[in-house]
Amino acid sequence: MVQAQRWVGKPIPRRDALEKAIGQAKYASDLFPEGLLWGKVLRSKYPHARIKRIDVSKARSHPGVVAIFTHEDIPNNRYGPFNKDRPVLCDDKTRYIGDPIAVVAAETPEAAEEALGMIEVEYEPLPAVLDPLEAMKPESPKVHERGNIARQTHISFGNVEQAFREADIIVENTYTVGTQIHAYLETEAGISYFDENGRLTIVAGGQSPYRDRHEICSTLNIPEDSVRVVIPHVGGAFGGKDDISVQIHLALITLKTRRPARLVWTREESTIAGTKRHAGIIRMKTAARRDGVLLANKTEIIYDTGAYEGLGPAVLDVAIENCNGPYKIPNIDISATLVYTNNYVASAFRGFGAPQVLFAIESQLDAIAEQLNMDPIELRLRNALRRGDVGVFNNKLIGSVGIAKALEIAANHELWRERERYKSETARPWIRRGIGVASAVKGYTLGALPDKGQVGVELTREGKFRVRVSSTEIGQGVLTALAQVAADMLKCGVDDIQLVFADTLETPDTSVTSASRQLFLAGNALADAARKMLDKMRHVAAGLSGEPPEVFDFLDGYAISRDGKTRISYAGIARYMENNNIPLNVVGEYEVPRVEPIPGTLEIPHLFYMFAAALALVEVNTLTGFVQVRKLVVIPDAGKVINPQTFQGQIEGAAVQGIGYALMEEAKIENGILKTQNFSTYLIPSIKDAPEIEVIPVEDGEETGPFGAKGIGEIGIIPIAPAIANAIKDAVGVRPLSIPITPEKLYWLIRSKRSENGSQ
Amino acid sequence: MRRGSAVVKRFSFVLNGKPVEVEVPPAYTLLETLRNVLHLTGTKDGCGDGDCGACTVLLDGRAVHSCLTLMAQVEGRSVTTVEGLLRDSSPDEVQSAYAESGAVQCGYCTPGLIMATKALLMSNPNPSVEEVKEALRGNLCRCTGYAKILEAVLRVRR
Amino acid sequence: MLLYDIDVITPSSLDEALEILSSRKGRIKVVAGGTDLIIQMKDGIIPRRDLLNIYGLDELRYIKLDDNDMIRIGALTSFSEIASSETIRHYAKILADAASTIGSIQIMNKASIGGNIVNASPAADSLPPLYALGAVVRVASSRGSREVPIESFYRGYKKLDLAEDELVCEVRLRAMSDDEDGIFLKHGLRLGDAIAVVNAAIWVRRDSRSGLFSDARVALGAVAPTVVRARRCEQLIISKKLDEDSMWNAAKAVLESISPIDDVRGSAEYRREMSVNLVYMGLWELTHRSG
Repeated sequence: MVQAQRWVGKPIPRRDALEKAIGQAKYASDLFPEGLLWGKVLRSKYPHARIKRIDVSKARSHPGVVAIFTHEDIPNNRYGPFNKDRPVLCDDKTRYIGDPIAVVAAETPEAAEEALGMIEVEYEPLPAVLDPLEAMKPESPKVHERGNIARQTHISFGNVEQAFREADIIVENTYTVGTQIHAYLETEAGISYFDENGRLTIVAGGQSPYRDRHEICSTLNIPEDSVRVVIPHVGGAFGGKDDISVQIHLALITLKTRRPARLVWTREESTIAGTKRHAGIIRMKTAARRDGVLLANKTEIIYDTGAYEGLGPAVLDVAIENCNGPYKIPNIDISATLVYTNNYVASAFRGFGAPQVLFAIESQLDAIAEQLNMDPIELRLRNALRRGDVGVFNNKLIGSVGIAKALEIAANHELWRERERYKSETARPWIRRGIGVASAVKGYTLGALPDKGQVGVELTREGKFRVRVSSTEIGQGVLTALAQVAADMLKCGVDDIQLVFADTLETPDTSVTSASRQLFLAGNALADAARKMLDKMRHVAAGLSGEPPEVFDFLDGYAISRDGKTRISYAGIARYMENNNIPLNVVGEYEVPRVEPIPGTLEIPHLFYMFAAALALVEVNTLTGFVQVRKLVVIPDAGKVINPQTFQGQIEGAAVQGIGYALMEEAKIENGILKTQNFSTYLIPSIKDAPEIEVIPVEDGEETGPFGAKGIGEIGIIPIAPAIANAIKDAVGVRPLSIPITPEKLYWLIRSKRSENGSQ
Repeated sequence: MRRGSAVVKRFSFVLNGKPVEVEVPPAYTLLETLRNVLHLTGTKDGCGDGDCGACTVLLDGRAVHSCLTLMAQVEGRSVTTVEGLLRDSSPDEVQSAYAESGAVQCGYCTPGLIMATKALLMSNPNPSVEEVKEALRGNLCRCTGYAKILEAVLRVRR
Repeated sequence: MLLYDIDVITPSSLDEALEILSSRKGRIKVVAGGTDLIIQMKDGIIPRRDLLNIYGLDELRYIKLDDNDMIRIGALTSFSEIASSETIRHYAKILADAASTIGSIQIMNKASIGGNIVNASPAADSLPPLYALGAVVRVASSRGSREVPIESFYRGYKKLDLAEDELVCEVRLRAMSDDEDGIFLKHGLRLGDAIAVVNAAIWVRRDSRSGLFSDARVALGAVAPTVVRARRCEQLIISKKLDEDSMWNAAKAVLESISPIDDVRGSAEYRREMSVNLVYMGLWELTHRSG
């Protein structure tokens, strides 16, 4: 008896939505433990300086101040996910404005703030290196002892030079991409305390309780079982809470003072000390045959990782892996460099290195289509990867590949078919409209890196299930989707699934919540747990009824024998198990399939990729350079949509972040100082900037995913910037090579073309 | 316990229908008082500069930034926060509409948006799409892309 | 920074407020809506001083059209009240338009026109319309009251013709008649709230027989230490037949009146071009309206 999917595919509202809407959901920043100390962090004034002396004596004796900590209080003062290059508190020198130097703990926020001003730091300013190209020169000031090249690699397949000689056309451009700030509405925040069992507990916004715990324990030199990390509701993350923020500082305060503490970054602190999307330079030379077949692509990628690596090495890999787009290209050559500078720290941000390179390759494709006078979608379709193809790294694509289908949907969409009509509808002579297309690709899972996760399932005495995952609810809705998956796997109602999440004490390690794969990973581990649980329950049903186990199947909370005569409720099974001391819990596990990395990389290739196509309709004011996006059509390859409501919400939200990335979000950094520290200078899209967004999923199913689902968390942002850039080119005839395409940048581009033509 | 060189004054106002008194520095903001003193945390702190709208409350029935409202400006007035919309612990229709329409993701902007929506609907029960966008333009949301927020508001217009 | 060490004094009448201002000359700062002042004080942009909280002085909240066709706006009147006032929408539409872009609804509900005038940001959205409409500011102190034309109220960047014991109480404008027209223009970096890169207001009177502009005022913001009148531009549009070329010429004449700087929102060079283009777009709109 096969049960139809009762919950998977249903647009049920998120389980935490109402609690959040009535103001009852508790975020880390909403917690005020009894007797808390207020934490504050003193940050570097200079982008690069030697610390000659730190004198905290005056601040320490200030009334209300309980403790002040410096690097001397940190046993192992370096951390980081790949390379331990980052100090908890700066010792020898500071490497960017915002580098933490001291942590204050005081009885009141006022005393904490006053104390910051009383800490004396004697700096010896050092020459700062703020341009990644400068930083790559050997004579440049060194950010770290080992030099400014954090990572450099070269990968080549085929023979690009020969292909360039044989090509009919070659397009070559240099693209620059700016720094994007996550700008989640809740800043980095947390509290810490000793629980009733004397366990140091950190409750803080994050994306991985186990990794946060590891960083806390390794730097403070305390055993991992003495620390509990809990991640409650998080007010947005998008990769920005993948790295450590407040956690170690909080643990330090509570460990040393034995008192609870609270540390919440201000908005300015968040924009300064939070991680960012890598700015970079991408040079690309692409060759094609007259009939549109791509022959070669040569790419040079330089990403500015700022003062510390963070997840930069992996971000660089994702850039390498996706810089050729979702296309078959027989000859590729990639040089990629991750550079240290005294700029702000770049790490994970939705898309993880891919949005930058997709902006480049998708602009290249458009330029090729234009030169060949070919429809841009036709050109893309001609080269699109299909399932079973061999990718550019000589890797066989065994997973689902939905890009061709997505492009076909785009080609048949009214906005594309009738684009000349859409373009003609403008109200003023200085307004021009254009329509652009772009594709996107990114691997989900951690690629060739080992990646394994566990999920616990427990049958409660009421006959319901408690599912334990360390997945974090960062706004994406993973808990609701997992409940739907669990209900269909365990054959019960979705409300019979209780989820316990993101707590190193209460949940097994489901690995990090990143790389668009938590539903895929946890869902598969859950399938394993569900199999084990139902197997146990089948045997109990057999014991209770005297019938053989194999006659039992499960439906709506009952074990039912094949002839339908015996029905035993889950509650009945639970009671029996409890009375007979049969453990009510199981742990499921899933290890993500992977292949060995190709030489010169950490995690390339992935076995599983996400795809999307997008269309953008823009309106350009040629007298100001202002671009308004009027409509977006986003067509993600979803495998299978588990929850249409949360799915659409993810894609729409990513698309609007993409508009911000493409047009307005510009972290302006001058001499190492961030000039856009708040929301009046760092502009993110408002409801008036958000266009109508149509989301059309491709659902071809991914056999390895739970119910055919694949990752979708990041793919929505990736095609947006190039689709908009291509639409702008269509509207005004100039190709933007630098994002964000701010009004001023575009205005000068249009102006220079106008003066070339000698008109007004 | 020291409060720096603070001046502390007593303020009386009506909070969610009930009279309250607090003793705080008079230049404390309403947001600081709600969250850090009263621990009424439904009202969120997104920027402290009046740029994001997460701290929106109703002051005498109008939407304002609690982060830019001094306690001295609250004296004698009436404040409604997201918690104050509940009637006998059932959610207001705006709260339900947000929850059911998928307008809530991380949810940190949600209370402010709900208060801005409430203020709009109190003065204009049947707003057009354009009027909704104008009323909510100061409430930033980083997760949803706003489509489902618009949908939620349109769902409760008369 | 936290504002815990600042005292706030709340007067119960205008007279009391003026007395306190007079007795604590220069040692107290007036706070109206507070939407700019609180941020500036937290960020340390202005010195920390005790505050005189006039937010509750409802006697300064009004919009009246008097018998002499003068619109009188109390200094504490919020931008929401201005934007939605039938009087303003009908008789000073460009001010209503500017008021509705000044910030979010939350800001509009609290920020006051008097506050915007005294805050004296060169980018303040209410100021170009007030210049274009020839507004007059009434200031009062315990010594008496006086009136100052808006243009002479500003003497330089954030320098006001306002003594330490004086308070801005009212703004007065002449109601526009049917032969007058105007437009408010703002170039911001997003459609949602944004501080202007450049803003401008144009006011014109149309000659009913010729259809030409018989009088005009053009004012621009965010392009000089104060809002400026573009008088050369005005001359070029009065009593002239405006075609594409003459509109561009007039618009380019604004360059004589402005001295923009580089900042986070745009370069000086960009602001120069935007000033010209904004005024061109405004003239285009005005000449394409049935007048």
